[in-house]
Amino acid sequence: MNGILLAAAYLGAVAPPRARLGLPERPDGRGRMGVIGGGAVLALAGVWALAGWSGPLLDALEVAPETFRLAAGIVMAVAAMVVLARPRPAEEPEAKGALAALWPVAYPRLLRAEVVALALTTGAKEGAAATVAAAGAAFAITVALGALRRTPFSDRVLEGIGRLAAVLLVLAAVFLMIDGIRDV
Amino acid sequence: MKRRLAVHAAFWAAGLLVVRVALVPAEACPPVTAARVEQAIVEAADWLAGGMDAEGQYVYGYDLGADEVSTGYNAARHAGVTMSLVQVYAATGEERFLAAADRGLGYMADRLEQGDGWAAWGRSAADRPTGANALYLAAMALRREATGDPVHDEVMRRVGAFLVGQIEPGGAVSASFDLLAGAPVPGVHGAFATGEAAWALVLLGRVLPGEGWTEAALPVIDYVATARDREEGYISRLPDHWAAYALGDLPPEHLDETRLGLAARLAGYFGMRLRFEAGRTGEGVNLALRWYPGPPAGVGTAGEGIGALHALTATQPSLAGLRANVEERMACTAGIMVERQVTAAQAAALPRPDLAAGAWFYRGYTQMDGQQHVVSALLAALPIVEAREGRG
Repeated sequence: MNGILLAAAYLGAVAPPRARLGLPERPDGRGRMGVIGGGAVLALAGVWALAGWSGPLLDALEVAPETFRLAAGIVMAVAAMVVLARPRPAEEPEAKGALAALWPVAYPRLLRAEVVALALTTGAKEGAAATVAAAGAAFAITVALGALRRTPFSDRVLEGIGRLAAVLLVLAAVFLMIDGIRDV
Repeated sequence: MKRRLAVHAAFWAAGLLVVRVALVPAEACPPVTAARVEQAIVEAADWLAGGMDAEGQYVYGYDLGADEVSTGYNAARHAGVTMSLVQVYAATGEERFLAAADRGLGYMADRLEQGDGWAAWGRSAADRPTGANALYLAAMALRREATGDPVHDEVMRRVGAFLVGQIEPGGAVSASFDLLAGAPVPGVHGAFATGEAAWALVLLGRVLPGEGWTEAALPVIDYVATARDREEGYISRLPDHWAAYALGDLPPEHLDETRLGLAARLAGYFGMRLRFEAGRTGEGVNLALRWYPGPPAGVGTAGEGIGALHALTATQPSLAGLRANVEERMACTAGIMVERQVTAAQAAALPRPDLAAGAWFYRGYTQMDGQQHVVSALLAALPIVEAREGRG
């Protein structure tokens, strides 16, 4: 997977526009930037840990990285179907104060199952540095979207772009599945 | 908040369980020593050689549950088993396997049809199958390499000429020759005859260089690489272990991008098949989702296919990245198949210990090609297992 494909895969998995619809907000409809930024850093640390430990973890589970790639593709494809069916994320309660960076920003908005699966497979094959860079770019877009003031119109746009991200996720999932099948 | 946490925890627990059970079960690779691999090879080869009748025909199959020996037979499998016995002789130096292979060769020589410059064997009076003749030629060529004995050289040339005559203009290979019509059967292409013919001609080119046999195989290999699956109606690429042998034995000067691309694809298919096999336990939910541990011939062909390509990963830079995984799959398959083989001690408690010891069964039935393909796979894996032992 080259750099562009890797970045596209993380854009599809993180789906910044859809994630934006579930971020903590101020009363004026804009995101709480400090909390969102903190959550993105926490999520990135999670991706780094998953990618860095993917090799030993898969070893411990007695799963070849190539086999896990196929499984990750299937998890991502299922997740993409869910996003296409439900473009708005489920309502989540917010932890108080700065803890909102952990819940719901880092989890469940950013470190979703498809992101975890992707981090494990790209960490094992493409390496932790490339994985963190690609995930970091997707998280940064999510943080930037936090500055957007929510209106009914902006929500419709975010939902539409979120669906496009899901299509991107499907393509990334198919790529991973084929790669998992063709790899030795 | 606590309720949402519980919902998420339940989602992850259920999701991880499904992923683990259905998608990524543990891929068990039992540890194995080189001595055990070698013992498994010899015991399986003894099963093949020990079951020969006076005419040189092997035991075809044995149903353990019914305690019945199969009455069927198959020309390509006869030739393949003979070829495998020659491989065992070449690796072990055990004369009894050469003697058995020679009797197997004699069985085929007794059924040779001589044509104008060609010869081909078969069990039917109506036709001559390409695959069986390709493996007959492969057995003779490997014997020539292992012994230096030129006794079959002239027959090899004539069978080689038969195979060349079966090649169609685009590189496809007719699977059969109609003796009554005196011509290849048009439009009939076997799943494996094409790769078998290519490999046999490559081997013939190696033992009788300068006669154009290798060059005759090249259009067939290119056809397999670029057109065979589409032309012959296969939905997916055919995991052709015989084509892998042909590529593995092809002289380096003939290895271009197209052929190396085929080698990489084949390694991928075999690798996936063997990874899937390592995840099979044949028990409980795993049985329901992944079915029984695979037929020995299926596992063996994947093992020998990836083994045939192993050497290329050492010599071809474009395949070097596959080497570690290829070796991992070969060693893993060796461990799996040694563990699945019926030992002499286990066989002693069965109705026909002679037809059980050294064999691999699939749901209570064993067949000659099961032993053949696994033996060839273990022979390919043996140097890998030895090297790993050497490294500690």
